[in-house]
Amino acid sequence: MNLKSLIRHETFLALLLVAVLVVLSFQSDRFFTVSNLLNQGRLMTETGLIAIAMTFVIATGGIDLSVGSILGLVAILTGVFWHNVGMPLGLAAVAAIAVGTFAGFVNGLIITRFRVPPLIATLATLALYRGLAEGISQARSVRGYPDWFYVLGQGEVLGVPTQLWILVAAAIIASVILAYTRWGRTVYAIGSNEVASRFSGLSVEKTKLALYTASGFAAAVAAVIFVSRVSTTRSDMGTGIELDAITAVVLGGTSIFGGRGTILGTVIGLCLIQALKNGLSLAGVKGDGTIMLIGAVLILAILASNLFERSGTR
Amino acid sequence: MTAPFVTMTGMSKSFVGVKVLKDVDFDVRPGEVHALLGENGAGKSTLIKMLSGLYTPDAGTITVNGEAMKFSSTRDATAAGIATVYQELLLFPELTVAENVFLGHYPRTAGGWIDWAEVRARTRDLLDQLDTFDLDVDTKVLALSVAQRQRVEIAKALSKNAKILIMDEPTASLVEADVQRLMQVVRQLRERGVGIVYVSHRMPEIFALADRVTVLRDGAHVGTRAIGEVDERELVSMMVGRPIDSLFPKTEAAIGETVLEVRNLNHGRHVRDISFSLRRGEILGIAGLVGSGRTELALTLFGMTPATSGEIVMEGRPVRITSPRQARDLGIAYVPEDRGLQGLVKPMAIRKNVSMATIERVSSGIFIKPAAEARRAVDAVKRLSIRCRDIGQPVGELSGGNQQKVVIAKWLETSPKVLILDEPTRGVDVGAKAEIHTIMGELVKQGVAVIMVSSELPEVLGMSDRVLVMSGGAITGEIDRADATPERVGAAMTAHRVQANGTGEAA
Amino acid sequence: MAMSMDLPPTRPASMARRPGFLSRLFSEYGQEIVVLAAIVVLFIVVTMVNPRFISANNLTTIFAGNAYIAVAAIGMSMVIITGNIDVSVGALIGVLATISGTLAVAGYPVWVAWFFPVLVGMAIMGVQGVLVAYARIPSIVVTLGAMSILRGGLISVTGGTWISGLPSEFLLAQQRWFGVPSPIVMMVVLTVLAFLWMRYSAFGRSLYAVGGNPEAALATGIPIERRIVAVFVIHGAFAGLATILFATQLQVIQSTVPPNLELTVITASVIGGVSILGGSGTVIGSTLATILFAAIGSALIFVNVSAYWLRAVIGLLILATVLADMMRRRGKA
Repeated sequence: MNLKSLIRHETFLALLLVAVLVVLSFQSDRFFTVSNLLNQGRLMTETGLIAIAMTFVIATGGIDLSVGSILGLVAILTGVFWHNVGMPLGLAAVAAIAVGTFAGFVNGLIITRFRVPPLIATLATLALYRGLAEGISQARSVRGYPDWFYVLGQGEVLGVPTQLWILVAAAIIASVILAYTRWGRTVYAIGSNEVASRFSGLSVEKTKLALYTASGFAAAVAAVIFVSRVSTTRSDMGTGIELDAITAVVLGGTSIFGGRGTILGTVIGLCLIQALKNGLSLAGVKGDGTIMLIGAVLILAILASNLFERSGTR
Repeated sequence: MTAPFVTMTGMSKSFVGVKVLKDVDFDVRPGEVHALLGENGAGKSTLIKMLSGLYTPDAGTITVNGEAMKFSSTRDATAAGIATVYQELLLFPELTVAENVFLGHYPRTAGGWIDWAEVRARTRDLLDQLDTFDLDVDTKVLALSVAQRQRVEIAKALSKNAKILIMDEPTASLVEADVQRLMQVVRQLRERGVGIVYVSHRMPEIFALADRVTVLRDGAHVGTRAIGEVDERELVSMMVGRPIDSLFPKTEAAIGETVLEVRNLNHGRHVRDISFSLRRGEILGIAGLVGSGRTELALTLFGMTPATSGEIVMEGRPVRITSPRQARDLGIAYVPEDRGLQGLVKPMAIRKNVSMATIERVSSGIFIKPAAEARRAVDAVKRLSIRCRDIGQPVGELSGGNQQKVVIAKWLETSPKVLILDEPTRGVDVGAKAEIHTIMGELVKQGVAVIMVSSELPEVLGMSDRVLVMSGGAITGEIDRADATPERVGAAMTAHRVQANGTGEAA
Repeated sequence: MAMSMDLPPTRPASMARRPGFLSRLFSEYGQEIVVLAAIVVLFIVVTMVNPRFISANNLTTIFAGNAYIAVAAIGMSMVIITGNIDVSVGALIGVLATISGTLAVAGYPVWVAWFFPVLVGMAIMGVQGVLVAYARIPSIVVTLGAMSILRGGLISVTGGTWISGLPSEFLLAQQRWFGVPSPIVMMVVLTVLAFLWMRYSAFGRSLYAVGGNPEAALATGIPIERRIVAVFVIHGAFAGLATILFATQLQVIQSTVPPNLELTVITASVIGGVSILGGSGTVIGSTLATILFAAIGSALIFVNVSAYWLRAVIGLLILATVLADMMRRRGKA
């Protein structure tokens, strides 16, 4: 994993992003406006936070399919804790986030303690957590939050959407951790060669546990932002967000087999996807059409990544 | 004297520039048991893999029944009548015995369907021929013991009409009673005209079964004898005897106080009641053949597979070592046998590999200090003469010897008191080998205690102050440098040990 | 491969007593028997609470209404046995159902409306199989991408509208064959046929080999790539057959993706004994597991527990089964 090949992939991706932005700005004059771009930034925060955490998880060779369900569960719990249990909204949100983080921790336990492959473990918890969300909410949604709550999801700070600050901060912190700290080094080592990592005395289990917990935490925070943005809570929130997150991560250059990947790449991948979505909707394609695109992009991205790996560009 | 069914002439093979087989001749006659003997790395496994079609020879010819053959795959060899029973049995646990035997070559009915009745009947017949009357053909393989699985493998080979059966260390994982039964089977097969290549180091079995024995050493053919013309001492001597050249600059180091004491250490089948002590400045060589438990002992000391009973006393204090991290903190370091899988993260740069076990030392808090890390890596490269482009080069691009030096460098960073080296010069060119030995010499001068597990007898004899010999998970010999001769060590490597409860366990 | 189990030294290890018939049956089909027992227990308990549970009407609903899941689970089990997975089957069935209904309403003969989607299913799954086998893309990724393409495509093209005006000959699922609702007949027949085929044909056996020990399978000369593509194609066929039952249940078809379908199908396979690590399990198990879920879903209603907890129950069941499987494997190794 040397600097040269690293720069090559992210540069290529950045150029691609620029190209896409240029094309889209020609296609619709509503695209390249400050307000639209900022709004896109607002919309991509939830997926972005999850994708940032997912980068770590996939870099160790794992995967977390349950993030969408954790998001839904935390969204429901926020409403339930506030509306039904009567907690002050701030406390309710914190409590809900705590539950979501714990859900991620449970994922980690199943994977490290019981050695269940991450794919199956998170597929099972995808069902379990979504099920809990549905069961607890009984398909009722909670509305009517106080105005100050909406600042998070719909408001602005210094002219930039609130949650975008959070996304940027998270991205910076995450990339520093991954690139410059011991934890980041451990993540790459585990993804490249878990056996050798163990032999070198690295704490493989603890690291993985922490990562899945972090993934749960990211999904939980994204949930609160989501609720604040759409002013309501519903149990089907976050369905399919794992697809978006995984696609952004893979597109950004993280290998699905682990050992490689950067936060910068994920962020560029995220922007690319958001730009494509926006471009499609400005061209009149309905939301579901964009899902098709994301799916195709995912497959193509991995196909390209496999080809790169075989030709030795590492 | 029947004509050989298979003749191999002038077989040679090199891997990564290292010649593992040099101009070896070998032949097998129908209805004979031909034992193949040699130390680890002597070339036995390469030879049989060429016979079974897994490897293609760089030079040499294989003749089957008079016809020259080229095996480009295992299928070619199977078609020519050569089958192998490997140590790593290739069976499917969820399928039944009958299914495993005939997978891929089922007898069919007229309509093209699998004739299951025929499959089961023929499997039953094959097993009966092998005197295995009580093994039910419908049992799933996962329910079988190793001995039974081996029986299934042999039946599989016979079902393909094998004329030559290669058996690679067949008794390595068997208890004594099963060994006897297997020997019966081998005798029967011989009676039926099958030629058997019996790769083993167990002298009692070789003398009980073999008609001829061939000894390889360092990739060369040492000799082929009829079993009646030779005795154990001579075979051992052929296996190991060679002049000990001055390839090993053994510097004398002051041997100090005891740093490590191990008493009655146990773990599973391969570490049984091990006791020894180690002193500062000492090189303790551990010799033994494959499966003798040397690596398992090292892994137990290193905390990878913690001991189930027994004591470890480190610098006078009893300790329980349950993880590699703990071992490292206690001052024990382990340079693993398989450097590619266990020792290095190949895609990563040299400097990152060097710091991997001591990342805290080059970090302030959680942040890695690139300058400090680079400095240590540069030092290591210089100290150990690692040939590389720069410290940012991925370790996977280095030669075997230099890769090994990186692993050693990594563990030297931990300032170990006890350094365990497992096959330190395996797959390493001569130049690097000498350098690694020099490094070892310097380490012991600084007071480090070294345990060296090695399959190369010259290395063991040349470097060690004391030699522990292991066989079957137990120590079968402790020999001082002055008394260590190839014959003594070789004899201990192939020795039995009678169990405390009286059942004679083959070593 | 596992080392020898430590047997008492007094008896040669190979003289194993042939285990009794019952204990062999249990070790071979243990999981299937557990599921069957669970079904029986469930029925007994729920009927005690609410006797209307075993009314003919309810039983028909349980079995006939969910038969299509069992049929889809047959194909899914085969995919999982080879060590892969498919999360696109739900979206695929949605697409195929829409195609089927559209053909029927447009006046094509019912045979076409029934079987053309089967071919489409085989083609779509075949493409995925090729990506998995030859492009070496992990099956989770390929099928995740395919799921979105299919789902998005379906909604974009149809907008989720209802297809009505289905001709009555089309409604196969409402027919009765030999007095039994046709879905039940199809479910049973297909399960039995598939089971026999997996058990006794070279192809079926090779699927277990591919999933159980890929290196050994390669060494034995089994063409792994071709097998994987084939199994995906077969899975597509079963999805198509399941679609027939699914699409012809009601007078109308909603052209959306039935929610959670892929998860239910995967769960049916896993709980039915197909190990997610590949290499073991039977289709009989997956069919029984489908019945179990349907029964649980219905039971929740009859005991007045909200049906919204169904998914949580499914999630717990998968988890419990997988954990048990892992512990069983660790114990054996």
